[in-house]
Amino acid sequence: MKPTVEQIGNLLALKRHERPEEGYWQDFLCEFHQKQREQAAKKSGLTNFFSQAGEWLSEMSPSKWAYGAGLAYAAVMVAFFLVPREPAKPTTPVTPVNLQVIPAPAPPALEQLNQLDLSPSTQGNIGEQVF
Amino acid sequence: MFRQPRPPDPDQDLVTRAQAGDTRAFDALILKYGDKLYGLVYNMTSHKEDTHDLLQEIFARAYQSLGKFKGNSAFYTWIYQIAVNLTLNFLKKRKRRISLSINDMESSVQQDPALIDNANEANPERQTNLNELQIRLNEAMRKLSDPHRMVVTMFDIQGMSHGDIAKVLKASEGTIRSRLHYAHLQLQSALQDSWDERF
Repeated sequence: MKPTVEQIGNLLALKRHERPEEGYWQDFLCEFHQKQREQAAKKSGLTNFFSQAGEWLSEMSPSKWAYGAGLAYAAVMVAFFLVPREPAKPTTPVTPVNLQVIPAPAPPALEQLNQLDLSPSTQGNIGEQVF
Repeated sequence: MFRQPRPPDPDQDLVTRAQAGDTRAFDALILKYGDKLYGLVYNMTSHKEDTHDLLQEIFARAYQSLGKFKGNSAFYTWIYQIAVNLTLNFLKKRKRRISLSINDMESSVQQDPALIDNANEANPERQTNLNELQIRLNEAMRKLSDPHRMVVTMFDIQGMSHGDIAKVLKASEGTIRSRLHYAHLQLQSALQDSWDERF
């Protein structure tokens, strides 16, 4: 014979009064607040930034990456067209360059000769040319 | 047709205060729903330490998400939804991780004061039969799928209405009734032999 649904319900209803032991909730609240404080302390630092950035990246689906990339591209393009560029500097008048090369005056030939040390290094011998 | 206006949330004041940073108001909410959520999670996990850890996680999640709670449902429904989601996720992970020893769970159930029926204390034989039947019932409950066990826990153990369960599980009342019907059939078949022996 099968038990009826009511009988099963009555049997299950006995478990309705399942409660944790005395003092459980006091300890539970202490632990809960301790954990919340620890979490708040952890969140206050730079770790918060990195963990959130990591979470954000890990939760990002490929479609969101595509949206992000598109938005970034659009932002760059808007900045390119909207940000004012530096005003053009006034141009200084251009002076024409003299292309004619003026040769330096050549020293006279005699002076050039005098400057040269043409004296013999040894006494003249036969067969040697003496100046 | 006009929709019936939703009755005001009895926890509105506590929730508003908790949202404003009053930790004592949130403590009051923990104490108000703690026992019910304990029963829900314990009947799903059959493990006291897991129940404790899960409850810490459930209330921490609720506390962190309190700012996002806009009052579209009652706080009671909202926190039950968090509890159900976290518990079902936990059970999925636990199934992959370990297969919990049936003997461990039986011993914890046998020691559970909730299984001792005060009305039968004077009749030890009947109490023994009832305890054994409860053990068979727990075994049969564990054989149900997690969503079916969740519905049985909410309806038969916690005494919630079909409508409330439907809101928590975000399903239709028809789905809830159908799950309950199937789960009761399973439990009836599982208990058939034990029932014949004892009654």
